[in-house]
Amino acid sequence: MLCQICKKKEATITFTKIVGGQKKEIHLCKDCASTFSDKFSIFPLPQFDINDLLADLLNAIDLYHKEEGVLPSKKIECSNCHLTYDEFKQSGKLGCSVCYHDFREQLTPLLRRLHGNSEHVGKIPLQSKGKLNKISKIKQLRKELQELVSKEEYEKAAKKRDEILKLEGVLKKKNAK
Amino acid sequence: MQNKDKSIILNNLKESSAKWVNGQGPLSDIVISSRIRLARNIEGIPFSPRAEQAELKNIFELSQQVIEEDSLFQDSNLLLLDELTPLESQFLVEKHLVSIYHAREKRPYRGCIFNQKETLSIMVNEEDHFRIQCLLSGLQLNNIWKFINKIDDEIEKKVTYAFSEKEGYLTSCPTNVGTGMRASIMLHLPALAMVNGINDILKAISKIGYVVRGFYGEGTEVMGNLFQVSNQITLGLSEEEIIDNLEKVNQQIINKEQKVRKDLLSNSKNQLEDQAWRAYGILSSARIISSVEAMELLSKLRFGVGLGIIPHPDLGIINKLMLLIQPAYLQMLAGKDLDPFDRDIQRAVLIRNEIRH
Repeated sequence: MLCQICKKKEATITFTKIVGGQKKEIHLCKDCASTFSDKFSIFPLPQFDINDLLADLLNAIDLYHKEEGVLPSKKIECSNCHLTYDEFKQSGKLGCSVCYHDFREQLTPLLRRLHGNSEHVGKIPLQSKGKLNKISKIKQLRKELQELVSKEEYEKAAKKRDEILKLEGVLKKKNAK
Repeated sequence: MQNKDKSIILNNLKESSAKWVNGQGPLSDIVISSRIRLARNIEGIPFSPRAEQAELKNIFELSQQVIEEDSLFQDSNLLLLDELTPLESQFLVEKHLVSIYHAREKRPYRGCIFNQKETLSIMVNEEDHFRIQCLLSGLQLNNIWKFINKIDDEIEKKVTYAFSEKEGYLTSCPTNVGTGMRASIMLHLPALAMVNGINDILKAISKIGYVVRGFYGEGTEVMGNLFQVSNQITLGLSEEEIIDNLEKVNQQIINKEQKVRKDLLSNSKNQLEDQAWRAYGILSSARIISSVEAMELLSKLRFGVGLGIIPHPDLGIINKLMLLIQPAYLQMLAGKDLDPFDRDIQRAVLIRNEIRH
């Protein structure tokens, strides 16, 4: 294999990086590797492009879908900005907020791989607070509940569960109105 | 908003020193600065890379409106990057007010808003419509979060953010979705670098979802033993959790650096003194100096000052110099384009003047 920096000499040294279980390698010749490590004096992190990583992830997920037989045969396209899923796979960038909705089936596993999670629990815009606030509170409580259960603190967990049920009750009433 | 033209704004920016550089925040001997940025988009408009010209203009005008009408932004300036020369854009990068991507992108209506103290800046029409960033000296992410959260609320009074209950704040790149928050801490780790301890730490923290970058963020080199550690995960954790986790990780790195500093001080004090005073000697008398050499020596000098083995200059001056000696900043100060050799001369003059005070 040729060196990835000079693309001339044979690559004899390999740097490896692991993020979120994904392995990335960069292959360099002896000369480039020495200037490389001189220059950075550290593991060469800046050379790893997040978009490469994304593309790899997306392909892995596609493969998984294919094996499971769930990959839709038709071309997926955003109904608002008309970005196709293939274009997204190439650039790693979504086109508009509707893309998140229209590509959700494909995106959810990607988000889980990237973040270890696919659901938001943080800040909520003031404008959608009220209702969303409770939903996020419930999500947070559920997370805490799981932690308590895993620590076998059942008494505290039962209290959390009651809190969740109460909040869910309030939401249901609101929705019914 | 301060209504001034481009040349006045840039001139002021050249003369002023950002507050986050002052070296007076918590743990300043090791932590240069803390930073949080939020990625936000406006509902109903495609993300900037996919927006039409009229939509980009719309976003830019919205940002103008926000800072004109809101008292929180009364001392803020707005620059349209289309109007800047490449040198001026690069100067904003070196000031840490915009990203390299933002400076080099060709898209029209890219803006940069920043306040007088340079603690707050907003990139308009970067990859996301708004990238709000706040920088403070030393380790103080919680204070930054309080401040930037308020700014975020204030902007939201004027616009509706693209937000989904499931994915949170929606962003151009799925690596930012959720909180849209990237928190980072800039560390100066000369002792760990001396004992070749950086590698292990970087390997360990990249395994648990943190990224290490150079002085100027994504895709930049590590220089002067400065490392920027930031969170990778933005979804599924609350802002407070992200901050808390990042601080814990950084605290561990800081503890290691402190321990090695202590060990070095008790075992090799003479070498450390020699190293710091030699750095001071060269910096205060060199007539030609490259930015690479200057950064290396400033790192050694900073190390010595942090350990208390050399009494001056103070950390604020060293931090400031690390910015001033960069190529574009240097040329802005000189008021003209300089070739690399002239820059090396100019750089030496600048360092001598600052250090001998």
